[in-house]
Amino acid sequence: MSALLDKNDGVEHLLMGNEAIARGALEAGAKVATGYPGTPSSEIIESLAGVAKDADIYVEWSVNEKLAMEVAAAASFAELRSLCVMKQNGVNVASDFLLHLAGSGTRGGMVLVPCDDPGALSSINEGESRFFARTVEIPLLEPGNFQEAKDMTKWAFELSEELKQLVMLRSVTRLSHASGNITFGSLPANDQKARFKCDGFILDPDEGVVISAPVDYKHNQQHEKLKRAKEIFEDSPFNTYEGPEKPELLIITSSACTLYSREAISILGLKERVGLLKMGTTWPLPPKLLTRYLSRAEKILIVEEVLPFLEENVKIIAAETASEIGIKKFFGKNDGTIPMVGELNPDHVIKAIATILEIEYLPRPEEYTAKTQGLAFFGAPQRELIFCPGCPHRASFWSIHNALELDGRKGFVCGDIGCYTMALLPTGFTTLKTVHSMGSGSGLASGFGKLGQFGLDQPVLAVCGDSTFFHTAMPALINARHHKSDFTLVVLDNSGTAMTGFQPHPGLEVNAMGDNVPDLDIAEICRSIGARVEIRDPFELEETRETLNELMEDNEGLKVLILRQICGLSPEKKAGKKYEMAINEEICLGENCGCNRVCTRIFRCPGLVWDKEKQVTKLDEVICIGCGVCADICPAGAITRKEAV
Amino acid sequence: MKIFGPNELLEEVINKDLCIGCGACIHLCPYFRSYKGKTAMLFPCTLEEGRCFAHCPKIEVNLDELSQQYFGRPYEGGPLGNYLSIHTSKAGPKVKKASFQAGGTVSALMCFALAKGHIDAAVLTDKDGILPVPRVITDADDVLQCSSSKYAASPTLSALNQAMTDEYTKIGVVATPCQVLSIAQMRMNPLEKEDFTDPVALVVGLFCTWAIDFRAFAPFISERIDITAITKVDIPPPPSEIMEVFMGDDKIEIPLNEIRELVPDTCSYCIDMTSEFSDLSIGVLEGRPDMNTIIIRTERGQKIVNEAVQEEYIVLEDILEENLEHLMWAGGNKKKRALVKAKEEGLVNAEGDKKSYLRLQSNTVDEITG
Repeated sequence: MSALLDKNDGVEHLLMGNEAIARGALEAGAKVATGYPGTPSSEIIESLAGVAKDADIYVEWSVNEKLAMEVAAAASFAELRSLCVMKQNGVNVASDFLLHLAGSGTRGGMVLVPCDDPGALSSINEGESRFFARTVEIPLLEPGNFQEAKDMTKWAFELSEELKQLVMLRSVTRLSHASGNITFGSLPANDQKARFKCDGFILDPDEGVVISAPVDYKHNQQHEKLKRAKEIFEDSPFNTYEGPEKPELLIITSSACTLYSREAISILGLKERVGLLKMGTTWPLPPKLLTRYLSRAEKILIVEEVLPFLEENVKIIAAETASEIGIKKFFGKNDGTIPMVGELNPDHVIKAIATILEIEYLPRPEEYTAKTQGLAFFGAPQRELIFCPGCPHRASFWSIHNALELDGRKGFVCGDIGCYTMALLPTGFTTLKTVHSMGSGSGLASGFGKLGQFGLDQPVLAVCGDSTFFHTAMPALINARHHKSDFTLVVLDNSGTAMTGFQPHPGLEVNAMGDNVPDLDIAEICRSIGARVEIRDPFELEETRETLNELMEDNEGLKVLILRQICGLSPEKKAGKKYEMAINEEICLGENCGCNRVCTRIFRCPGLVWDKEKQVTKLDEVICIGCGVCADICPAGAITRKEAV
Repeated sequence: MKIFGPNELLEEVINKDLCIGCGACIHLCPYFRSYKGKTAMLFPCTLEEGRCFAHCPKIEVNLDELSQQYFGRPYEGGPLGNYLSIHTSKAGPKVKKASFQAGGTVSALMCFALAKGHIDAAVLTDKDGILPVPRVITDADDVLQCSSSKYAASPTLSALNQAMTDEYTKIGVVATPCQVLSIAQMRMNPLEKEDFTDPVALVVGLFCTWAIDFRAFAPFISERIDITAITKVDIPPPPSEIMEVFMGDDKIEIPLNEIRELVPDTCSYCIDMTSEFSDLSIGVLEGRPDMNTIIIRTERGQKIVNEAVQEEYIVLEDILEENLEHLMWAGGNKKKRALVKAKEEGLVNAEGDKKSYLRLQSNTVDEITG
């Protein structure tokens, strides 16, 4: 049995931050957990899905984040506790429902966990979810370590139930993906029944209609809830202070930055001079607590990642209480002491403190820095983001690129979010020309496809993954069909939400918990919308290219090409190679006219390696997955494949 | 011969719309491909010298070197190039009647050359509707499926490159003047490859004043008739100034001045009307839709013609003086007009680092343009 279900109260386990959050939800007795996959959030739902049967909970990968929040909210309305998880920008997708949910209030405890990705390590945005808490006026919690990730999650459900309001608990990559020791609490007996009471007095929060209107009444109620939250937060054990009574510098921080700040103070040996106020309840800020600590110091440094959320809110309190606490000197993102962009680390905080307190400190000797930089420049191999060996996307974009070049009308491809986003780069032959949010490639193409009347004569293409198709590409297709927009959507169907770890989606016959469920056929959906639909295997390069050219030349509205080939890393494929590949070094043309290393210079599957000494291509048999595609790339016939036994 | 690489080819020919899509650079490597009449470079290639550039008939063509190689003297600029004799001709009784252009001499000769083993493969141009489709034909009986002219520019030389890859060693090619120029360059082994042997046994060049851009032609025709119903396209010899498009028994006539609008600009730089570097050049005969004009240029061309006459594959007759005069006038006129234009654009004997379309002795330039 998974450690997540360990019933022993007080036992310690080494857990990832995301698993700690999952355990917190289990200790709170959450019955329903939903989400849409997205790094760094995915392991929360995955680990809950893994124990769903034993824990008797319901877990789903919803079609998108808005659906995830609605499904979780239904459980709350039926008096169950529910958890909803997404990455930072997922909150944008869910935000319309979020606004109305904050207005209507909740019943069973409901917690929204967005996991932000400072520095955009696994994102193409550096989105900030905390402002949503302020915008829709719901309480916000930020755990500062792994134990808190578990404990605050559990507490968030209690808080939500007390306030009858959704509570947001924000994590970040370094909390979600790092691991620490967690002391477990008890798991509750779990026999709660779902019942939606909706026949009571219309304004009754427990039995009336669940709605954000009448707005003035409900909005007032919301503010009462926030007031109550402030009172609770004044005494929260998750807001802590460590340091001298009268620090020269007060650092106010939250989340993973607590760890960076503590480390910085320790390295600089400033425990007697610098105070650290770590806030776990960051919206609404408890004003009395803040006033108390602000009055102790003249210099205030606010350390946080992404946007200056905490900084702004602290400054408001400082302005309001200036007559009481005096004028302060603030340092943070606004004045540039803390970088506005990118992930923080202890060095950033050390630099900030050293500057403010005028301390000479170099995180490492200059000589060492120079030496490592020199070594990195001359010695480290250049590495770039690249598709895996045998990735179907490489083959798909090879054909898309070639079809566009042959067509010659300067056609272009609108992309969105998935492994295939990397087709912006040489690994995908720099094929993508726009990338925004999930499903937006199709939406943009729907728009480009209407610009013919203004002279746009370039063929318009979009790509989306199979999971993205269900997420938000479908409405774009419907829009395009209805408005007679002319474009070709290529669905890169690799049979799973591959980038985030093969989470299931509605196109598959299994759900998050491993149950058999109806699978929805993307081709049939597109046909029912009225699109011309073709299905090809992207490993059949010439056939795929021909089909694409034909579709691009068909000016009659919406076309869909489904390129179906399972991801090379999927458990099914990892089991064995389809082909045994071989390279005949005698035939390989190498850098000569007639080839010029097309396989290792352009196609660049990592399974093919250029042997500088011999001037031929070699096969890396360890990583080659035997997809067979390179045999069709080689102009000399030096690469051959035979069916693996 | 100045030789550069694919980047220069892209920059100087393709990007400047000088490419006619002859197919000379296709199937040599993975980078150049032809699609519906246009040549595209799929990916960058970094080589400083390539066959793509060396074989291209639109850049750095040294007419003196070619003429020296094939005719033993520098390029002289005569209206019809070097030749042994000129006649009229048509397919003989040994050849099945087919949908010939004019007298059917080209198809008849290729049938003969294949049947008698003078060549082991024939590089010809078939069609799909009005789209020319290059083919490698190895059976004499299949030659006739490629009969009759295709007026859209065709990447026929891609099939020649394919035939060479497939290791045919006695290849016969039917080609337009630009393609014949490319073949002449290719046969000189410009990259000096050690294992090179000339794989071409017979070059039959066509008379050509221009070709049509398929990508302009297709929508032009589609506006008028159902493109899929077309069975044949013909331009009868002068003085008729029309293109005939047949759909079974029906036909429409399109004035040639409308068709000339669809001719790519690059044809206006071409100085060669009669495929001057071929073994045999064949075209229409003024006022005689049932006959061809044939120019015999080389000994091996002469030998094949003699045998084909003997075996009754073709019938040869003397050409009338007035027809010869007119042919000379037309060939000289095209040459002068094109060379004047090319010179004006700085494409002849360009100096310094500039690439040139043509190189030839400057007094010859003066004689032609004077």
